[in-house]
Amino acid sequence: MNKKAISPTLLYSLFITHSAMRYDVRGWMVWLLVTAVLIMVARNPLYTILLLLAVQLVKKRHYQPENQAFQLSLWRFGLVVITLSALFNLLMVPFGQTVLFTLPESWPLIGGAKTMEAALYGASNGLVLVTLLALFMAFNQIVPVSDLVKLMPRALPDVGVVLLVALTYVPETQRHLQQVREAQAIRGQEIRSLRQWRPLILPLLIGGLERAMSLAEAMVARGYGSLQTTRPSIGLQMGLLVGLLAALGGWLAGQYVGWAGWLLLAAGVSLVVALVWAQGQRSVRTVYRPRPWRLADSWLVLAGLSPAVILLFVPNLQLAYTPYPAFTWPPFSIIVGLTLMLVAAPALLPRKL
Amino acid sequence: MSKREREEENAAPFAPRLSHLAPRTSHLGLRKWLSGALFALAGGIGVVALVWPFVRPVSQSGTVGTDLVLTVILLTLCLGVLLVEVQGQAVNAKVVATLGVLVALTAVLRFIENAIPGPGGFSPIFAPIILAGYIFGSRFGFLMGTLTMLVSALITGGVGPWLPYQMFTVGWVGLTAGWLPQLRSARAALLMLVAFGFLWGLLYGVIINLYSWPFIMGQAATSWEDGLGVAEGVQRYAAFYLLTSLVWDVTRGVGTAVLLLVLGLPTMRALTRFQQKLSFTNE
Repeated sequence: MNKKAISPTLLYSLFITHSAMRYDVRGWMVWLLVTAVLIMVARNPLYTILLLLAVQLVKKRHYQPENQAFQLSLWRFGLVVITLSALFNLLMVPFGQTVLFTLPESWPLIGGAKTMEAALYGASNGLVLVTLLALFMAFNQIVPVSDLVKLMPRALPDVGVVLLVALTYVPETQRHLQQVREAQAIRGQEIRSLRQWRPLILPLLIGGLERAMSLAEAMVARGYGSLQTTRPSIGLQMGLLVGLLAALGGWLAGQYVGWAGWLLLAAGVSLVVALVWAQGQRSVRTVYRPRPWRLADSWLVLAGLSPAVILLFVPNLQLAYTPYPAFTWPPFSIIVGLTLMLVAAPALLPRKL
Repeated sequence: MSKREREEENAAPFAPRLSHLAPRTSHLGLRKWLSGALFALAGGIGVVALVWPFVRPVSQSGTVGTDLVLTVILLTLCLGVLLVEVQGQAVNAKVVATLGVLVALTAVLRFIENAIPGPGGFSPIFAPIILAGYIFGSRFGFLMGTLTMLVSALITGGVGPWLPYQMFTVGWVGLTAGWLPQLRSARAALLMLVAFGFLWGLLYGVIINLYSWPFIMGQAATSWEDGLGVAEGVQRYAAFYLLTSLVWDVTRGVGTAVLLLVLGLPTMRALTRFQQKLSFTNE
């Protein structure tokens, strides 16, 4: 257990925030979203490798050592994913013209000719998956938890408080667990079977609930929830219902009738977002030492948006590639390649403000 | 002034007049109906997004990439709507404090995952969420499920496009646990929860797999194709499922059931006692 305990530095990153020295988290969100969409849309292994390199560059430049709570060897994991994906696709997909070998037709599901195209296609899909994972790993290592919590929508004040209480109590609970363990060890209690976890888990649970009760009393004494009601009005509930219906209807209709459906989907999504935003305006949130928006944040947003904006103006844009039916070398355009390398632009920005 | 408000005033004539601050109690029937409709619709969108690969029509516009982006957006939207809805109905200081502490506890349990003996796929988070949902009600269970996934993703650095679906699914684990009938005999209730936990352990794997399948398998003409017949699609999914995750899901289901069997009764007793102490109202 000790091996996996949260490092004390994570604690500090939760409470001691040098937010003035970091980029605004919304800037990183722009970079994350644009890059994620590019990875999913540009399904050409050459471009995917470029994107993977760009993401790694940004991570190398900006990662915060105290954020590394979750360690995974990307290269080892990536190799496993790509191999498995290629194997599965090779066995399951009966398309392609370059036959490698043939399994007897009588074998269920996997019988038939096995082609090189299928294996290549599987491998390139695995590569996309690994790149997505690398992107989110980078994001998690760049942005600290305390900044992520700030992204909680204002329409969810109570849920936000629960989140903060939970994050505050995680280290506290770990300490408590350690104490209970030591106390039971002094009594000669060993943990060999699952049943022997009882004297460990129950004091932890009951102690936690006791603390919850005193916390609730303290909150009530300070007037929590006495003035505001976050209960949604009937109008809001109806609006949300209509918005979700429109979104679902538009999504389904978009597959058959095209742009009219997509328009309806967009209208539904915007209605829900607007309603939630308006609900958020009703709750007051005060910030201790507000952090102003800085010029460097604007540069980050600009850097994040630049590849997507430039790609919109590239003539005859061709991002997708498929090895079927017969393998041809994936096309590579210098302009598109250079534009995709702009994903690495945040690596040019200074590490600290 | 409605009839109900008048009654409240008659019952406590010396209580301070705070009725303008209290939530409106009128239109309860309509509210309940709207709330149910929101849950049903959000769940429906989740299911449609899941079975999408099997029923997707042949279409020229839109690649798999944009489809996946849309799915993530829609699910995040549903999750947000449900959270707004649940928060307004069920939350006060006691619920906030209890939820926070229980979520922290469950997230810590996830850390000792490798200390509790169990093979891969086993996860100790389902048992406490099911118990809390059963004892404290479905809305509490929903919040506990979603927030446990969020908190453990935050502290382990596991934020990603898979997070909305995990939160959504585990939220439904807690929600449906609240729907189970309240049995008089604690042992019978425990047995019911054990079976329930086993089923959700399996179902969770199926759902998360369905969600990740297009991610892993990619575009048309692979394991799921444009306009592929439903039967053939299901057959291929079954092969994918057997190959990749049945073993994991079974361990998850069995692990949850065993955990509930061993620790369930005393935990239920403790939670019930606190429910009375905090005077929760179970809807």
